[in-house]
Amino acid sequence: MSALLAQTGDPTNFWQWMTDSSERTVTGDIPSQVWTTLWHSVLAFAIAAAIAIPLAAVLAHFRRAEVLSTWLVNIGRLIPTVTIVAVFVLISLRNGYGFEPWPIVIALVLLAIPPLYANTYTAVRDASPEAVGAARAMGLTELEILRQVELPLATPLILAASRVAITQVVATEALAALFGGTGLGQYITFGIANRDIYEVQAGAILVAGLAITVDLVFWFVTRFLVPKPLRPAPSSHRAMKASRPTRSIAIPTPSLGGNP
Amino acid sequence: MTTRRKVTCAVLAVGLIAFGIWAANRISGLSEDTQATNPLFRWEYLFTRERTPEELWQNTREHLELTVWSVLIGIVLSAVLSALVLRFRWLRAAIFTFAGVLYTIPSIALFAILSTYNSNFTAAIIALTSYTLLILTRNFVAGIDAVPQAALDAADGLGMSRVQRLAKVEIPLAMPVILTGIRVATVTVVGLVGISAVIQLGGLATYIFDGYNRNYPTLMVLGTVATIILAVALDLVIRGVEWVATPWAHRRVAR
Repeated sequence: MSALLAQTGDPTNFWQWMTDSSERTVTGDIPSQVWTTLWHSVLAFAIAAAIAIPLAAVLAHFRRAEVLSTWLVNIGRLIPTVTIVAVFVLISLRNGYGFEPWPIVIALVLLAIPPLYANTYTAVRDASPEAVGAARAMGLTELEILRQVELPLATPLILAASRVAITQVVATEALAALFGGTGLGQYITFGIANRDIYEVQAGAILVAGLAITVDLVFWFVTRFLVPKPLRPAPSSHRAMKASRPTRSIAIPTPSLGGNP
Repeated sequence: MTTRRKVTCAVLAVGLIAFGIWAANRISGLSEDTQATNPLFRWEYLFTRERTPEELWQNTREHLELTVWSVLIGIVLSAVLSALVLRFRWLRAAIFTFAGVLYTIPSIALFAILSTYNSNFTAAIIALTSYTLLILTRNFVAGIDAVPQAALDAADGLGMSRVQRLAKVEIPLAMPVILTGIRVATVTVVGLVGISAVIQLGGLATYIFDGYNRNYPTLMVLGTVATIILAVALDLVIRGVEWVATPWAHRRVAR
């Protein structure tokens, strides 16, 4: 394709493309496309978190449906992302709901659920049994144990999983443009269609930049959301060593088929 | 998991999928009219004169080719990276951060930008390989790290050299974890190859895009089902390798 792309006329360059909107074939400026991508992703992530985290926490507390999380992750890995987006857009079109936002948001929700569910389940199940036993001995009810003991202990892993999930959601949102949606992916698809090499490059850099930015922002926020005693102590070598097991747990397996 | 439970789960899953297809078929048309003229799936539409089983086979081969090449290159690169991590501990954070950043970059962006500099095939291989690095390296390192100290001491006691110890003790004991990593990476890549259809590389996902562009849902179902079957088949093959490669661990590998 590079040969084809090189043939196109006007030798603009990448920075000219970024700054001069008359070069672009896509209507809508960059900030508004970024905004579209962001709100699709955040909405999808919020819905997925609202469904997956409480469900997984309750089921894990009562040790029910242990196989479900493995199955969810495996199935999520097996089904290609492209399929999920395409099928939802198709169904939505056939029912007259248009290209977006719902088909895309629903597809993203389905993509975000497996890592959130699986990691929350693991985290709550593996919360220190001594702490849970102590809480029970103090007369806390089961729901209080879940809310006041198990969930705080599970926060590092849940937040790490959330970070993986939201990064994947932002990355996948770009695929929506392949199926008639809007968002940053439009620059890539339109660029390929118009054989505009700079548009493709700019789109790719914007998509990648947004994903990495969201990842970094979430990482930064995460550090303040983890309860203080669970934060890895930054200073001495000994503290690093002591916190190592927690840290290796806190990096969850980014399951769900690396769907970015 | 007992065999009975496995069977129950499988039956449940098949039932669920069948119900899903049926429900999608029911709800996906505006009216009975749409249902009749353009249903989601119909056997007669599966193969036509120009879309033959040979074409399906060709696409499967392309898909497989991309997957196998990128996973193989990924294994070699990850072996080097994990060797570096295991030898020089201070490189650990740097290498894992590097692999993590590569993993964060959206595949569509990577395909697009690489295809403006390289041939499409090279671009796809580079992109897919870069996604396997995180999964593979992490599993390689975790596997070798988990080798019990007693085994290492025994190997030293027998007078093995560093290399002998690695080849005869550490790698065999880490084999289950290593192969799990390879399995996960392979299944992941099979799914990701679908996105490489964006840069016109063939593979099974061409069916999905074709079917979408021509409003031809049967093709989309074909592409999806073929991709899933390919992924499951590769998964089973690697599980088989795992079973053969670790004859002493058939109890422990339940993962």
